[in-house]
Amino acid sequence: MDVSQYLEIFLDETKEHLQSLNTQILNLEHSPEDTETINEIFRAAHSLKGMAGTMGYKRMQALTHEMESAFDGVRTGVLKVRSSMIDAIFQAIDALEEYVGNIQESADEGTNENIHIIKSLQDIIAGRDVEVAAAAPEVKVETEPEPVAAGETEVIEVTETGSAGSKGAWQNVPLGESETAVLTIAKQQGKNVFGITVEIQSSCLLKAARAFLVFKAIEDIGEIIVSEPPTQDIEDERFEQSFSMVVITEYPLYRVIEAAESVSEIERVTGGDLVLEGMAAEEDSSETPAAESLMVIEDSQETQGGPQPEKKSGRPVINRTVRVDIEKLDVLMNLVSELIIAKNSLVSATSSEESTTRSGVNEQIEYLESVTTNLHESVMKVRMVPIESVVNKFPRMIRDLSKKMNKKMELYMSGEETELDRTVVDEIGDPLMHLLRNAADHGLEDTSERIRQGKPESGSIFLDAYQEGNNVVIEVRDDGAGINVDMVKKQAIKKGIITFEQGENMTDNDVIDLLFHAGFSTAAVVSDVSGRGVGLDVVRSKIEALSGEVEVRTTKGEGSTWIVRLPLTLAIIQALMVTVGGEKYALSLGSIQTIEDIKPENIKYVQAKEVINLRGTVIPIIRMNEILDIESMKEPNDDMIVVIVKKAEKLAGLVVDELMGQQEIVIKSLGKYISKCRFISGATILGDGEVALILDANVLI
Amino acid sequence: MDLMELNAVVETNQFIVIRLGEEQYGIDIKYIDNIVRIQHITRVPQVPMYLKGVINLRGEVIPVMSVRLKMGLPVDEIEKDSRIIILKLDSHGNIGIIVDQVKEVVTLDSNHIEKVSYDGKEDRVNYISGIGKYEGGLISLLDFSAVLAE
Repeated sequence: MDVSQYLEIFLDETKEHLQSLNTQILNLEHSPEDTETINEIFRAAHSLKGMAGTMGYKRMQALTHEMESAFDGVRTGVLKVRSSMIDAIFQAIDALEEYVGNIQESADEGTNENIHIIKSLQDIIAGRDVEVAAAAPEVKVETEPEPVAAGETEVIEVTETGSAGSKGAWQNVPLGESETAVLTIAKQQGKNVFGITVEIQSSCLLKAARAFLVFKAIEDIGEIIVSEPPTQDIEDERFEQSFSMVVITEYPLYRVIEAAESVSEIERVTGGDLVLEGMAAEEDSSETPAAESLMVIEDSQETQGGPQPEKKSGRPVINRTVRVDIEKLDVLMNLVSELIIAKNSLVSATSSEESTTRSGVNEQIEYLESVTTNLHESVMKVRMVPIESVVNKFPRMIRDLSKKMNKKMELYMSGEETELDRTVVDEIGDPLMHLLRNAADHGLEDTSERIRQGKPESGSIFLDAYQEGNNVVIEVRDDGAGINVDMVKKQAIKKGIITFEQGENMTDNDVIDLLFHAGFSTAAVVSDVSGRGVGLDVVRSKIEALSGEVEVRTTKGEGSTWIVRLPLTLAIIQALMVTVGGEKYALSLGSIQTIEDIKPENIKYVQAKEVINLRGTVIPIIRMNEILDIESMKEPNDDMIVVIVKKAEKLAGLVVDELMGQQEIVIKSLGKYISKCRFISGATILGDGEVALILDANVLI
Repeated sequence: MDLMELNAVVETNQFIVIRLGEEQYGIDIKYIDNIVRIQHITRVPQVPMYLKGVINLRGEVIPVMSVRLKMGLPVDEIEKDSRIIILKLDSHGNIGIIVDQVKEVVTLDSNHIEKVSYDGKEDRVNYISGIGKYEGGLISLLDFSAVLAE
């Protein structure tokens, strides 16, 4: 079976399962007795194993198998959740993530066997982890019999299709001790022991029913000892396209396969002799798990438990995908139909006889306009994914950091369901990670220091996401020491970023801004958590590349807040068109609060700056013609048109010459060559083909 | 040996000859994406004088610069022969330059190109990578890394 077409789905689902594992295990750490969580983990581990097996990723499968077994133990109450177990599981998840990374790069899982992780998991399952924790982390010599101890065996593929891919999943049917015993006895009695894998056609609707028939047919000629997935799961249709079993029979292999194939809608049946060679197979550290050591001969192609066939290594990285809610697609479909209707109406309106044409066309244009606006909104929504996928890995990260740095801290998150454009979500992970690490390392004080200051022993880091107008805001907040402005200043002078004189004249905000300077790091000792000095400037440039911005607020002794503001969409915005000195400019509607008519005599001065008093709020005004270096077309004593814009809590009034109206504009980049002008966020092409610049109110304030 | 020399010698390049003021300049044809008539240029505030603004080239927003101002020549006079040459450069993306006239295309082999030696006294020499000789006279070959440097 060629599985490459499932690679994308496999990767998507694997990532989801790994994420859910991460989250659930963090839960488990807090409440080790929660059966719901344990079951959830077991299911995720089980699905992972199944998927890895189907895709032929043996190493991944071996590892997930151990995880599954461990949680099976927990589930049945044989094992207790201990911190050593949690650590081992986390290690396993990391290893799995590495496999997934490799698969994504090259469609190959790589060659890292992660023997020590498997080992420690096995020790935990066998209840030996306590000793292991005490002993050195060397590989212990295995003395107990392995559940499955399989030597080499020959396997005959009983199908014409010689394609590589899943080569008999039956080899991986987990055998318990009792099963092994039964099978050994059967062997001794001269009966045949076969492993069978049945693949059901993908078009089959009643998989469970077909499976039942297969079971029935085989039971007529033999005895099914164990199946994978277990019978209960098969009955409940909780399996993918295939299932495997181990059969004891007096008949030869082909009879068994024939029996299974007699059931309709069966894609194919593969099977082979399951040889159990000695109960206590030696296991040296280089030995791969049982299933791995089986040798498979398919036609002329010999595949050992080594790397995947060569041809796979050059496979390109998979495409990026977005999973779309079917409802969103329905809306899109409807809108496209409406668009076609609108187009048809326009055609008929223009071709019809004069009299009513004019109003007819206008009406249809209005209709067309509403359809295209809705269409845009819907397409945008299709591209939107919750930031959950990115932020979900953070609790784990903070947990690890907490252990590593020996600082107590907790991460509290809110608004994970906030949606952003997929491209933004993909890019925002790293900057947020930097900010969190920064908060954990520089923001929070040491535990002892916190106690001395009378703060709660455990530091808190908050990650809050929410939508604000046309923006999504993500805040990273800590209750640590806040930014030490003097320290930053000193460091900047020492590093030659600013001179002493410059430092003297800088406001606190200017100094804090220095943190974003390339090559700046205040950590006295460079740790591997943060402090390489490549963090914050990268954060800023990355966020700005996404047309976002980052801002810091800090209160000494109370903590700092890093505010990341990102546009909901990158391509099209609603804008207010204005003119200044005869030139046209666009202002994003998202940042506009109100538009006011102000008489020149109402302008007051505060600290030599022009302000207006608008219904009790003092708002500084910015004369756009001055910023834009152009003569205003208005007389000084004319009434002024002031557009009130808002950035977070700050307001400002932009004085413009005239308002042209609201318009939907497509944002174009100004190109690499003109990137100096910070308050111009881009350009757009107007209906008449002219270029108008887009003013970024956020920078102006 | 002879053959190698020969090979090196016959390397030819095509240049578009443009006029800036009284002087003729050559632009290697491989840099040229397009030549368009002068159109409305939207001014961009707070950029160097020589950056005239941006234009709309079939839906793309492209910055336009004045080579004259960059090289310290008098301000452009937009006449009917004036054109915007859209250059395609890996380092800067697409960028338009205003020229007074686009005259012709010439083929020059390296025999007819003289490298200029920098004496450091005259600024404008720095914008030129060589002098080409052809029947129509001399053309200065523009060095874009210098012309477009900020």
